[in-house]
Amino acid sequence: MSEQPITNLSEPRLVSGWSAATGSWLPAVILLLVTIVVWEAAVRIFAISAFVVPAPSEIAQSLVAQWGTLMQATLVTAGEILFGFLVSVVVGIAIALVIVRFDWLGRALYPLVVLFQNVPKMALAPIFILWFGYGLAPKIGLILVIAFFPVTLSMLAGMQSVDRSLLSLMNSVGASPTQILFRIRVPHSLPNLMAGTKIAATLSVIGAIVGEFAGASDGLGYVIQFASTQLDTALVFAALLLVSVLGIAFYYAAEILERIVVPWAPKFSQA
Amino acid sequence: MRIETIRAAGDRPPHIRHDDLISTKGVSVVMGRQLVLQNIDLAVPKGSFVSLIGPSGCGKSTLLKVLAGLVQPSQGSVSIAGLAPAEATRKRMIGLVFQDANLLPWKNAVDNASMLLSIADKSLSRSDLRARGQEMLELVGLGDSAHKRPNELSGGMRQRVAIARALALDPAVLLMDEPFGALDAITRDSMGQSLLEIWQRTGKTIVLVTHSIDEAIHLSRHVHVLGIKPGRITESLDIALPYPRDLSVTEDPEFVRLVVQLRTMLRSSHQPGGAS
Repeated sequence: MSEQPITNLSEPRLVSGWSAATGSWLPAVILLLVTIVVWEAAVRIFAISAFVVPAPSEIAQSLVAQWGTLMQATLVTAGEILFGFLVSVVVGIAIALVIVRFDWLGRALYPLVVLFQNVPKMALAPIFILWFGYGLAPKIGLILVIAFFPVTLSMLAGMQSVDRSLLSLMNSVGASPTQILFRIRVPHSLPNLMAGTKIAATLSVIGAIVGEFAGASDGLGYVIQFASTQLDTALVFAALLLVSVLGIAFYYAAEILERIVVPWAPKFSQA
Repeated sequence: MRIETIRAAGDRPPHIRHDDLISTKGVSVVMGRQLVLQNIDLAVPKGSFVSLIGPSGCGKSTLLKVLAGLVQPSQGSVSIAGLAPAEATRKRMIGLVFQDANLLPWKNAVDNASMLLSIADKSLSRSDLRARGQEMLELVGLGDSAHKRPNELSGGMRQRVAIARALALDPAVLLMDEPFGALDAITRDSMGQSLLEIWQRTGKTIVLVTHSIDEAIHLSRHVHVLGIKPGRITESLDIALPYPRDLSVTEDPEFVRLVVQLRTMLRSSHQPGGAS
């Protein structure tokens, strides 16, 4: 969501939540509509072939015609994303907790985690297919290796940025490291963790699609690949549209979760 | 948990010295290759209000941390009512307040006020903790903000919660490191006044680290001036103004005289001295 334009700050107005929301969305919606109209017009005027660039109307037709297949594929992909995302968050949190709580293990683990982050994870997709077959498992594995990192890193940053004098206070009453971890560090890290979770949600969508590209018999990634071999570009775009919708849905679900989990986060306190 | 009996501890004439609650003998602190504190002999009488003032880098915050047992002196000894600081801390004799209130943003004021107590005394039930937190918030004048989160409180109010949190431990000593340093002048004055009232009602011993000459004289009975390079107590000043004091004390000719005297002391404390 974009911010209100800064020029509004000079003259404060009382706007209701709804009109403020439409106010911030309106320019984006107008641009989108203009783009669609120009796209449609350009394809028609220059008589561009549908298998090179389909017109928006052709994409819409394809969407309607293949609705059943596409919905079924969307459900499969959504399931992979959700499952993979949850596994990534759980594993990401667990690694962060281990690194912070067990100092020597942390010092062993952290450099390896960072090193692993530099492996191009997309390239692991064929290996995962080899190891786990064509089912759900390789997709979950791929999402995990792609999406756990921002979760771990953001939570670590949050846990390690606790003010020193707060730690002094805790030490002054004899708090144990475990008490400091669960009563201070973990809750303190939640705003960071939620930011990392939103990145993980976006990466999970990418992971699922790449996993399906590498080998699948179902899902939107499979539809995209299959349709492109058939030169059914309109169907490719229809599936892409649904992938985007999924990505946006997961992102906003994570954003809503953020408001529920950390309503006290600094980013919400200006309201 | 019960409210402290209200003691008229505020105004004992300085010459009738009961045993010192805090005393340091020849305390030196070396950090890296730097002598941060040199040969500190400090005596804080029980129930007294003592300020430490000095230029930045004079080690006054370090001295406070030594008293709290957070920094180990390289040399010398520290006694809090006859105990080592670590032992005194274990017995909940020390309450700490820093410049940043450091409240937990996910807890409301009353839960923040009882947060340290909940760790120090695991036998207390949730309702005991709440009751104690509420009692302390009332003591600092925030009785009706118990359910507000820190982001709904002003800077001064947050610092009041931090003081309530320290007092909830019922410590013998309150160690405060520039607690009002981040507040505006007017809030600062009223916080100082509130602190004086809390001190008189609870009879705590208070050691305050401050940059403010006015604050030191307005609040404390004894002021110790620290110099730099190395950090050491260069001069001490007794503030003979009678308690209870309020802000009108700042217009007292004696107050004005003490400000001039303390300023002169501070100016010479800016000169490095001794071997470093």
